[in-house]
Amino acid sequence: MLVADDEPPIRLLCQVNLAVAGMDVIQAADGEEAIRLARSASPDLILLDLMMPRVDGWTVAEELSSDEQTRDIPIVFLTARTTPNDRRRAEKLGALGYVLKPFDPVRLAPLVTEVVERCARGEADALRQERPPELWPADLEA
Amino acid sequence: MRSSTALGWAAAFLAPAAISSLDALSNPPSYQLAGFLYLLAVSLAAYLGGFAAGLVATVLATLGLDFFFTPPRYDFIPANGDQGAGVALFFVVAILIAQLFERRRQVQRQAEAASARANRLQAVTARLAEAVTPQQVLDAIVTEGVEAAEARAGAIGLLTSDGETIEIVAQRGYERNILVGWEAFPLAGDTPMAKAIRDDTPFFFRSSAERDAAFPNLTRPDVPSHAVAILPLVVEGRAIGGIAFTFPTEVEFDAERRALKATLAQQAAQAIDRVRLYVAERALRQRMTFLADASELLGSSLDYESTLAQLARLAVPEMATWCSIDMVGPDGSIERLAVAHEDPDRVAWAETLGTDYPPDPDQPMGVPNVIRTMTAEFVPDITDDLLVEGVQGDERLLEIVRELGLRSAITVPLIARGRALGALSLIRDETAPRYTELDLDLASELARRAASAVDNAILYREAERRGDASRALAHVDDGVVLLDEEGAVVSVNPAAERILSVDSAAVVGETALGSIRGWSEIEDNARPSQGEARGPVTLPLVQSDGAERWVSVSGVDFGDGVVYALRDVTAERLLERTRSDFVATASHELRTPLSAVLGAVKTLRREDVAFDAEQREMLMSMIESEAERLAGIVGQILLTGQLDAGRLPLEHERFDPVELTKSVVDSAELHLPSGIELRVEADENVPAVSGDPNQLRQVLSNLVDNAIKYSPQGGDVELRLNRNGQFARIEVADCGLGIPHDEHERIFEKFYRLDPALTRGVNGTGLGLYISKELVERMNGRISVDSELGRGSTFVVEVPLAV
Repeated sequence: MLVADDEPPIRLLCQVNLAVAGMDVIQAADGEEAIRLARSASPDLILLDLMMPRVDGWTVAEELSSDEQTRDIPIVFLTARTTPNDRRRAEKLGALGYVLKPFDPVRLAPLVTEVVERCARGEADALRQERPPELWPADLEA
Repeated sequence: MRSSTALGWAAAFLAPAAISSLDALSNPPSYQLAGFLYLLAVSLAAYLGGFAAGLVATVLATLGLDFFFTPPRYDFIPANGDQGAGVALFFVVAILIAQLFERRRQVQRQAEAASARANRLQAVTARLAEAVTPQQVLDAIVTEGVEAAEARAGAIGLLTSDGETIEIVAQRGYERNILVGWEAFPLAGDTPMAKAIRDDTPFFFRSSAERDAAFPNLTRPDVPSHAVAILPLVVEGRAIGGIAFTFPTEVEFDAERRALKATLAQQAAQAIDRVRLYVAERALRQRMTFLADASELLGSSLDYESTLAQLARLAVPEMATWCSIDMVGPDGSIERLAVAHEDPDRVAWAETLGTDYPPDPDQPMGVPNVIRTMTAEFVPDITDDLLVEGVQGDERLLEIVRELGLRSAITVPLIARGRALGALSLIRDETAPRYTELDLDLASELARRAASAVDNAILYREAERRGDASRALAHVDDGVVLLDEEGAVVSVNPAAERILSVDSAAVVGETALGSIRGWSEIEDNARPSQGEARGPVTLPLVQSDGAERWVSVSGVDFGDGVVYALRDVTAERLLERTRSDFVATASHELRTPLSAVLGAVKTLRREDVAFDAEQREMLMSMIESEAERLAGIVGQILLTGQLDAGRLPLEHERFDPVELTKSVVDSAELHLPSGIELRVEADENVPAVSGDPNQLRQVLSNLVDNAIKYSPQGGDVELRLNRNGQFARIEVADCGLGIPHDEHERIFEKFYRLDPALTRGVNGTGLGLYISKELVERMNGRISVDSELGRGSTFVVEVPLAV
């Protein structure tokens, strides 16, 4: 798994919770690093923050989807807030899930597992059409 | 005269007798001498006693001469024809002498009579000269005239101004009851005085009987009356009245008597005319003086209330016994502005009366009627009937007005520009003469001048108020635009000129829609319906330079037009937007560490998995640092609140800036991200500064944090300390994103944040630099930035050296 977020606490939470679910986690603190790691490590999934210094999440997603080598890596957007515009843009970029900050880290691993498994079964497009899984902020869930 | 006549008669008998007795002398006088002596005697008798005495003396002297001295003596028969002729000649001569003396006596008597008449007329003239008032003149004429004419009684009747009635204006000597019913009588009537005046002919009746014969209907047997003389009083060929004298006896009116009466009548007429002229002239002068004084008064002040009150006082007592001025109030009610009378107690009483009996605007007469109809009311004669009608059944009021003895009244409206502003009332009581048309003219002229003065004052006041208003409007920050009913601009205050980017001179008189850019927007959103208010609404107005200005507009229709109030809320709106941005930013800033902490705690509390010690430690230290970050943000917000409220106490102490700078660098080193090189270059000789060391540390830490934050690519961050005059100068320089020139000022504003595109996702509350600036300035220092986009920034803080 690649976690790309400029906020160390977010990376830490993702890393710890995915690790205990048995996943290997690599981290990127900015967009540049994310692209580099995506290419070099070919992760099963990228948790991608939209607002990052140097190169933001949108650019990263565009870059990866236009690259033969990386276009099939499922991307789950990790973001603080989404506007309908953001959502449309993310859909165009082939988003397979949304994790809205602040998220419940305990529920992160099941979402990641679901997306990875379905993509592994070649159901990425079906997932996109169904409606990608979302992880809503804990305070809004009720 | 009488005594001399008696002496004459005595001489007539005694003198001839005395001469006759001379014959007894031994040597008697000769016949010639005796004749001479006799002639002397006749002369003496005629001189003293007149012609009759002279005749008697002549007869006695002739008989004496003939008997005693003409030879033959003691015989009446003359001795011869010559002697007889001598006696006859003597007789003739004596008679001629007697006649001569008689003629002389007559001349003397006439002279005396003329002198007496002259004396009497002289007395009349003297009395007339002393008389001042018309009544005194009339009384003098009657009194002196009666005296001069040797009459029992006399009376003067004058034609009234309408020329149809004769009024008895003065009398002397008549019993009261005689004149009852004769106070005034028609000129056309069949009475002696009326006829005398009509025909310009005097009547002289020798006796009552003669008069009764001429005027049978006047016979009044109970009234003692004898001769009567009635003469017209004529001035310059015009009859003004008549004068009558009644005598105690029958009188033969000889030419001399008639002439005397005529002279008296002429003098009386002239005196009356003179005094009338004098009175008229004096009244005219008085009016002119009054009008001049009044005009001066009216022009003296714009305080028309007090001016009119003074005017009312000026009118009494000469022009009026009572003078009052009533004004129409703004609500149409009639308010008594002033009432004047010579006696202050009466004024107070009248004011109370005015309160007890407020004017009814529908009153059929008096002030309300004059104001309503804008027509003067002139009542030369206030009759009791009029009073009864006027009080409208109020017995108490009737008693009061009867008590006042009102005689004559004038009420004139104060009219200006076709509008009745009020009314001026002049009232005279029985102590003063009736008002005439002349007085009405005067009152009307006075009212005209007063109305114009009041109107001027009102206009001036309005202008001044408008002036005040526009002066005041010039100072308000809110724009005020006044439109008339047709939508034309009446006025635009300077604030509105600024807000709408128009020039008042260019738009006043023009329609707002045609002359003010964006006005249709305002009309569409804020135009009130008739008599209503609308708004405020906030609208964006595009300026001629293309900039957008937010304006809060409200409109009020006040009947004669619409007044729009405009407020430029661009700044407020910007601030509001910044504030809401801040809320978003701040909540985001808070949420990020908060959710991190929350997530860490939830993770730690997972029971389904076990974390190793290292993971646990990482989570715990993350909680700690994120909590600190939270505390920092909350601290910034609280600090801003304190600064805004001016409640932040700052220390002013001496401290070493070198040490402080180094300590800031030391603590920054602890959590320095990779790629950042922090360096310090401090001049050790910079002396102690004065200020609050903790707050300065906060400022510098904030600047260092910013330098690191806005250097996302990494690079050097350098702190430099040196002395600049009386200041210690600390620079924090980075090689990061930099700040565009036109933002150098604004970045120190509260909540202000650079465009996110420029900050590349760097978070912040927008408070750090605002707090830094506030703190530094409160330490009497200064802060500034030198930066270029893409070339890094250098923030400069200067704090004063300690004295």
